[in-house]
Amino acid sequence: MIVMAKLYDGISSKEHIVQIEFTNDKRVVIKSFNINEPIEDVKISTRLGNTPRLIEFKNGIRCKCDDNDKIDEILQTLKLKNAPIYKLESSWKLAVASVVAIAIFIIFMLTAGAGYTAEFLADRLPQNILDKASHITLEQLDKSYLHKSNLSNEKKAQIIKLFRKLTNDDKHYKLHFRSSPAIGPNAFALPSGDIVLLDELVFLDKDKNLYGILGVLAHEKGHYVYKHGLKSIIKGTIATSVISYFTGDISFIVTTLPTALITSKYSREFETQADRYAKSELKRLKISSKPLAKLFIDMEKYFNKKYGSKNDKSSALDWFSTHPVTKDRIKYFNKD
Amino acid sequence: MNNLEYLPFEFRGDAKEFFKIWIVNIFLSVITLGIYSAWAKVRTNRYIYRNTYLNGSNFEFNANPKRILYGRLIVFSFYALFLFSTDVINNPTLASMILILFLLFLPWLIRQAISFRLKSASYRNIHFKYKGKAKDFYKIAFFYLIVFLVPLFLFGMLISKYQKDSILALIALLLIVVFYITAFPILYKNYKSIVINNSYYGKSQFNFNAQKKDAIKLFFKIGLILIVILIIVSSLLVAFGFIFKAIGTTKSNILVQSLISIITAIFYLATIAFFKGLYDGYISNFIRNNTTLNKCKFKSDIKPFRLGFISFINILATLFTLGLAYPWAKMRYLKYKANHTYFKCCDYESFISDGKEQANTIGEETMDFFDIDIGI
Repeated sequence: MIVMAKLYDGISSKEHIVQIEFTNDKRVVIKSFNINEPIEDVKISTRLGNTPRLIEFKNGIRCKCDDNDKIDEILQTLKLKNAPIYKLESSWKLAVASVVAIAIFIIFMLTAGAGYTAEFLADRLPQNILDKASHITLEQLDKSYLHKSNLSNEKKAQIIKLFRKLTNDDKHYKLHFRSSPAIGPNAFALPSGDIVLLDELVFLDKDKNLYGILGVLAHEKGHYVYKHGLKSIIKGTIATSVISYFTGDISFIVTTLPTALITSKYSREFETQADRYAKSELKRLKISSKPLAKLFIDMEKYFNKKYGSKNDKSSALDWFSTHPVTKDRIKYFNKD
Repeated sequence: MNNLEYLPFEFRGDAKEFFKIWIVNIFLSVITLGIYSAWAKVRTNRYIYRNTYLNGSNFEFNANPKRILYGRLIVFSFYALFLFSTDVINNPTLASMILILFLLFLPWLIRQAISFRLKSASYRNIHFKYKGKAKDFYKIAFFYLIVFLVPLFLFGMLISKYQKDSILALIALLLIVVFYITAFPILYKNYKSIVINNSYYGKSQFNFNAQKKDAIKLFFKIGLILIVILIIVSSLLVAFGFIFKAIGTTKSNILVQSLISIITAIFYLATIAFFKGLYDGYISNFIRNNTTLNKCKFKSDIKPFRLGFISFINILATLFTLGLAYPWAKMRYLKYKANHTYFKCCDYESFISDGKEQANTIGEETMDFFDIDIGI
């Protein structure tokens, strides 16, 4: 079997046209250059599109051969293995299948896949790391957004009493009082079990027993129990990395938008779950959830006012998209 | 065999063929959690090099994927360590140490990356090589810093001394601008000299010999074009803003609004792509028209606006097909550039090898990972 090729000796850029003969006893022969080597010592590159095939000898001589089909045929006749990669790279069916598989993979990773991964990781991350990370987060927040609480000691004592009741005195939960005019009425739970309650929210609760606040604390405890914060972070990270991996250098338009949309959707699911948890906790403590519904109405009013007066995309709007104080939600807490 | 005519480079890559290679590369990279990406890089580069022809012979890309993988792993672990030190354990000392270390190594890494690209390439089984010293890169980096910082420093001193004299401040500012637009092109030219004059094809040396005034003129021209583009773009954006206001901010218009923001973003990306192509065109012409190899000349007659337009269409096509048009775009761009580059050589067969070495991948992978354009 003979193919025509261009030979370069690796010493000068001179080009020689040669005949390469592949003998039946698996030797490669180029008579004009006195080459007669067993085929195992000759490197024949895998086919890449229709680019010239590289045939490389141990002494540095290289040949380039345009006749790809002929070389494939020779390799087959000599029963030498031909790397499978060209088969993958040359078939339209497989190319289309790859497109579909990649699309499915992206969609899966952004939806259910991210969820599974978050569930999987959230249960396996060691608690002491979470505690440490949470404490650092709280420190950072204290430096930037949060201020000292201005609540009276009686009010604090009243809330702490409710909190103890809610957590059955479990030492893992810790309540922190802070204030933050920038954030407004809010409360949040960290993956360590630390729950931060802002003065602004306490002032909104008109219930004399502060059962609205108890409801919020139950809701935040729900976030902790279901590890929502942690899962959101994991999901967000997955979404960002998947999208930026696939978009490469055109990333910034595509990364910010869908990530935000997706994370706000995650939170909505989580909110509902935490709401259900809060309701069952209140039931356990034999306390009505109506004050919580009332508190939500007041919060909605507060943010409407703030948003209305500012008349731009303020943080309140963002807050709303993840904490939908919808009519359904209020209705849910209004019925016992 | 004497060829005293300019011969054009020729690019024979085919969009359909490349599409299949590209998509399989992505697929395999995904299912191997990124490990295959090193092989993917080799196959992509090999496809591009092998399809680039000059005088009937093609180029070859010889990098070893395993080494690329090691390079990637090292870069990735440093980056992971950096992220870990900032985000997880929140240790600013460690983070800034890594950052400073990175900056200290950067000139060396750039040199390594240039060396990798040359060592990995061959033509007619004669390898390219880079013999530049890291020292020169540190020098250039140092000059860049001095040229950039000293005027700012002087300006700061001036301002603090004569606070009320606004005319003086204006004159000083003008002087700084004039200084920058003359100094940076010269530095750029020097950088290119270090890169090209230390590049070898076998034993033959490349030579870059450009005039300082040409470099200044070139950047002045590019700067002016950039200003014009910015004026056009910002007036269009202002027009968009008016449309925004006219539509108002009611809830039902949110869809229209987000549509407008998407159009704005696409427009923004396309403008950047246009300018990138244009810049590439001007710079490629400048470099190639001033470069020789063994006294044989290169020539380039790229039309920068045409290349800008190609790049503009490419990004639109890529965006609207969710990336699927990327292979087509890539092939089109390379084809135009190759077809407008020429080489006039007396004897293609006279080049002598200077041996070959395995290329070190760490610099290349760092540049690749952080998407730094070393422009070679």
